[in-house]
Amino acid sequence: MTTSAKSVRGLGSAGAGTQHHIRQRVTAVALLFLVPWFLYSIIVACKAGYEGALTWVAQPVNAILLILTLSAALYHMRLGIQVVIEDYIAKSGTRQALLILNTFAVIALAAATILSVLKIWFTAGA
Amino acid sequence: MVQLTLPKGSAPKKGKTWPKPEGKKVKKFKVYRYSPEEGGNPRWDTYFVDMDQCGPMILDVLIYIKNNIDSTLAFRRSCREGVCGSCAMNIGGQNTIACTRGWEEIAGPHITIAPLPHQPVVKDLIPDLTNFYAQHAYVQPFLKTDTPEPEKEWTQTEEERELLDGLYECILCASCSTSCPSYWWNGDKYLGPAALLQAYRWLIDSRDEATGERLDDLEDPFKLYRCHTIMNCAQVCPKGLNPAKAIAKIKHMMVERVA
Ligand code: SF4
Ligand code: FES
Repeated sequence: MTTSAKSVRGLGSAGAGTQHHIRQRVTAVALLFLVPWFLYSIIVACKAGYEGALTWVAQPVNAILLILTLSAALYHMRLGIQVVIEDYIAKSGTRQALLILNTFAVIALAAATILSVLKIWFTAGA
Repeated sequence: MVQLTLPKGSAPKKGKTWPKPEGKKVKKFKVYRYSPEEGGNPRWDTYFVDMDQCGPMILDVLIYIKNNIDSTLAFRRSCREGVCGSCAMNIGGQNTIACTRGWEEIAGPHITIAPLPHQPVVKDLIPDLTNFYAQHAYVQPFLKTDTPEPEKEWTQTEEERELLDGLYECILCASCSTSCPSYWWNGDKYLGPAALLQAYRWLIDSRDEATGERLDDLEDPFKLYRCHTIMNCAQVCPKGLNPAKAIAKIKHMMVERVA
């Protein structure tokens, strides 16, 4: 038997949540600028064919902006999927496992995509 | 895990249809019935009410049914004028209080009346709001000060008092919290719009000295941050309040304190 006060208090306040809230909004603001640039770039790069796209990515400004876009988007995605997991998975063990998986998946995606950009950048003209 | 299907024994079945009276203005009502003593699944009973003999509000309809058709129907009510919050239920698919919702406002061939969603049912239209009240208690809805009480009273400027408008009017009917999907899925941990509206009411009270502690109690991914600005709360509130806005303001205060 637990009283309703005990169950509502639960384990107490986590003392966290605001950082997540802020980061989600900061990445959203960054993406507000980066995504339009990214969409424009995709069109430009596609028009130039495979070789043209490579040359385009290899330009330092483009490569840097691409890496920033990928970082902001993937981090934003990690925060968003975290919320979905917390919303829908009530069982704590399963929830924690999925949260870890979410982090791993995002880091793997970040590594693969950012390294691809770097590779094109560094090997261009070589 | 989110439950997308009702737990065993709680899906309503077709119930009894009560006789249809003569009359020009007969309206059909489908009312959720459940009695723990009888057991079994809940059911939808159908009643026909001659609206010429009945008052204008849904509460009038329920009282008419109880007095004239079926005395076993259970529901809560007290003030019958929108100040006590006890008659909150789901009417025509929307949470509201029965005593201020006119039956003519609801379109369609029949009107459904069910208890507030996603709460345990005590009987018929009476939900068990123990958890909801405990959440209200959690935010400590009373003035907290360390400064010794002034001889006469704590004073407020008119502007300071105005900050409480749109907050103090809450009648704790639970329409908002029980209309919120986030509350449905995580009602055990998420405090819900009603409790958070009250939390904000004390957070911005110029006389209250426990603002920091109050924010500490809310700084939590579940207790506060389960609000995803779905806005059902503001849509259903029978007092026209906007809990979603109050929650957004709590989040602003949280941000202000760290950045
Ligand atoms: S905010 Fe409105 S809907 Fe929510 S409990 Fe208060 S009066 Fe009811
Ligand atoms: S009876 Fe009091 S609010 Fe409806």
